Amino acid sequence: MIDIETLFFVVVARGKANAILKKAQECGAAGGTIFLGEGTAPSKLLDTLGLTEVQKEILMISSTNELSDKLHEVAKAEFSFTKRNKGIAFTIPFQQRKLKPGIQEEISVPDDTDIPDISPYSCIVTIVDKGRSKACINAAKAAGANGGTIIHGRGAGIPTDFYFPLVIEPQKDIVMIITAKEKTSQIRERIFSELEIDKTGNGIVFTLPVSRATGLFENTNEESKEVLA
Amino acid sequence: MNLIREKTREVTRTLLPVFIIVLILCFTIVDVETDVMVRFIVGSVMLLAGLSIFLWGVDLSMNPIGEYMAQEVATSRSPIIIAILSFLLGFLITVAEPDLLVLGSQIESASGGTMSAQLIVYMVSIGVGVLIALGVFRLLKDVPLSIFMAITYGIIFIFALFVSEEFLAIAFDSSGATTGALTTPFILAISLGLSRVKGGKKSEENSFGLVGIMSAGAIIAVMLISVISGQKNIHGDVAEFLPAKGVFGPIFGIIPSVFFESLMALLPLTVLFFVFNFTKFKIKKGEMSVILKGLLYTLLGLTLFLTAVNSGFMDMGRIIGIQLASMSPWILIIIGFILGLIVVLVEPAVHVLGEQIEEVTAGHIPIKLIRMTLSLGVGIAIALSMVRIVVPEVKLWYFIIPGFALAILLSFKSEPIFVGIAYDAGGVASGPMTATFILAFAQGAASAIDTADVLVDGFGVIAMVAMAPVLSIIILGRVFEHKHKKVQSPVIEEETVVISPSLDDKDYDEQHNCIVVVVNRGFAEEVVSVARNAGARGATIMHGRGTEEKEEEKVLIPVVNIELQPEKEIIWLITGSRISVSVANRLLSHTKLIEEGEISVFVSSTESMGQE
Repeated sequence: MIDIETLFFVVVARGKANAILKKAQECGAAGGTIFLGEGTAPSKLLDTLGLTEVQKEILMISSTNELSDKLHEVAKAEFSFTKRNKGIAFTIPFQQRKLKPGIQEEISVPDDTDIPDISPYSCIVTIVDKGRSKACINAAKAAGANGGTIIHGRGAGIPTDFYFPLVIEPQKDIVMIITAKEKTSQIRERIFSELEIDKTGNGIVFTLPVSRATGLFENTNEESKEVLA
Repeated sequence: MNLIREKTREVTRTLLPVFIIVLILCFTIVDVETDVMVRFIVGSVMLLAGLSIFLWGVDLSMNPIGEYMAQEVATSRSPIIIAILSFLLGFLITVAEPDLLVLGSQIESASGGTMSAQLIVYMVSIGVGVLIALGVFRLLKDVPLSIFMAITYGIIFIFALFVSEEFLAIAFDSSGATTGALTTPFILAISLGLSRVKGGKKSEENSFGLVGIMSAGAIIAVMLISVISGQKNIHGDVAEFLPAKGVFGPIFGIIPSVFFESLMALLPLTVLFFVFNFTKFKIKKGEMSVILKGLLYTLLGLTLFLTAVNSGFMDMGRIIGIQLASMSPWILIIIGFILGLIVVLVEPAVHVLGEQIEEVTAGHIPIKLIRMTLSLGVGIAIALSMVRIVVPEVKLWYFIIPGFALAILLSFKSEPIFVGIAYDAGGVASGPMTATFILAFAQGAASAIDTADVLVDGFGVIAMVAMAPVLSIIILGRVFEHKHKKVQSPVIEEETVVISPSLDDKDYDEQHNCIVVVVNRGFAEEVVSVARNAGARGATIMHGRGTEEKEEEKVLIPVVNIELQPEKEIIWLITGSRISVSVANRLLSHTKLIEEGEISVFVSSTESMGQE
């Protein structure tokens, strides 16, 4: 069983993911998956003008701990993630499951104790019906989050209906918010209550641990809300 | 200002080559008066601003409106309502298209008044409406586009036997006139919305093709008019050409009428949307204000863009055409090729189509590749149009009929998604830039050559531009199919879902795991059904692209060196931690998913708060 311990995420402007992936492969990454998302508006003024969408690409690379550390350094050095709005990178501890063909191996479930508790960040993931992501971001911002990344997806497995054999696929928005650990529970509570997650079908909120993050900036003043993701 | 900056940068990148080439021509071989030149420069700046604002407005308004409308159409359940609604959509947006009215009056005067412009506008709009309705049924019924278009163009070819050469040109031109700056993005949004609502395996390829179907409606309508009325020949004179004097006079002079045109084009859609919003959608205030802002940007951007094109680019095109034609046919053909190559990329709808392709395929089909193919196609089309002007023996149908015939034949052997993109590209390429700048260039050239007829040769240029990209992109699709490793979507066997009783529904305190699964495209449903059998519940699927792990499996398009990245699906599952192990194990012991789906599974612990 090959143990790959983390998933390394990068959020950058559209079109830049390929360059980073290439670089990551030079550093030894096996490969990556890229998907499209949207960031949130960096300022109130732009929000008023309706310029709320910032198109992003999210790159996901499975890597070992050492590799992801190296990738963080590369992101800092070569893609200037230390500057605002250049992009962010974060690592979430994931265990890749691989079975040797034919052998049913027992695998241990990772739990909280496996995760080195050093990072000051965590990642809140909210999955809601399409169109409610804005409300989610607003709730999160009200509770102190800086921004989020929205990814469009679809729910799975819905029965066929209608005159045409038409499968209506429920479209979902996935909102990822990276935030300081101490703010996590307050943001999550806020999303939970404002979006009424406790009612059936209204969505789901969960938190993933983040072992390392690069390119995050805390708000200093209200007017210049910084895009985090 | 991230996004506005990005849009502006994108528009600049496409506009700059046109700007530079025209200026080079002006300073070398073409002698242009100063005020025309200054107007061209001012026009370019206006075009840059206008197009950027317009594209932004389309993003904010046309896309959501299209999506809502599509949802309304698709979920109305009754085929009669679907037919009426989609007919109405097609009819309304076409009847308001300013280009179509221009074409109508041209035909009216060319036919000596026997056909009124109004009749033509209504006939074409009805044609488009009917075809859009059929196109919507095609999409919902999953009829392959290649077959649908083969039948449609089969009908067109039969009509073509009965109409004169002039009307053949007018008919194909009308397809360009109906696919204007506003209608094309809207129809693109409708078809994207429909295919999203419908979902399923073919949702990707279903996102395209409706614009192509719409163009065919216009062609059929005009041919019908000709057959029914028995009108064969057109005659008439094109007014003597005089470039406008001054710089700001001509620009500001046309703003009111252009604004009115843009408003008229935007109005039917907006009214229809508000009627539906009032009765059906009831969109929330916040979202509504974004859409309203978007509509405003669209109107403003469109006005700026059309003003710039009409006042700054048309005279310039004409003068270049006249002067080049009097020099040497070879220079005319070569410059025509170059202009076609670059001008098409400034078309607003080309930007919109590019974005849509990126969105739908998650970057799997490189837009760069589509753009290059598009420009090559249009470049050749313009060059051939110039040949047609220089050599009177070369007729339009020499190109149009075999071109479409070849495209239809190849469409059966091409990747389905490219067939849709190709037919759309025809309508997309023949937008306002072609209808003004390129057309003026061609008419200028025709007026300088004795054997050419400005009227007859002028018509037909748009037809060529509408045909060439269809063929070139279908050829690309054919190449793609060769190059691409064929991923056959698995047939999902129906299995009874057994949810293990150990699943405790209400236990929120239980530790949950987040499972992220990455597979090749088409396998997501299989993953979900396997995971369900193992006890998982909801899943969310995202669409992305990945890398080929082995160097030798990478697919590279030669010469341009663009890599084709395989499409992937990412599935997020939230399960109880006890179930997650069995879910992961089940997924990883599924041989089909391992061998064909190239599955990888990641598990992380999480704290989950709400369940779907």
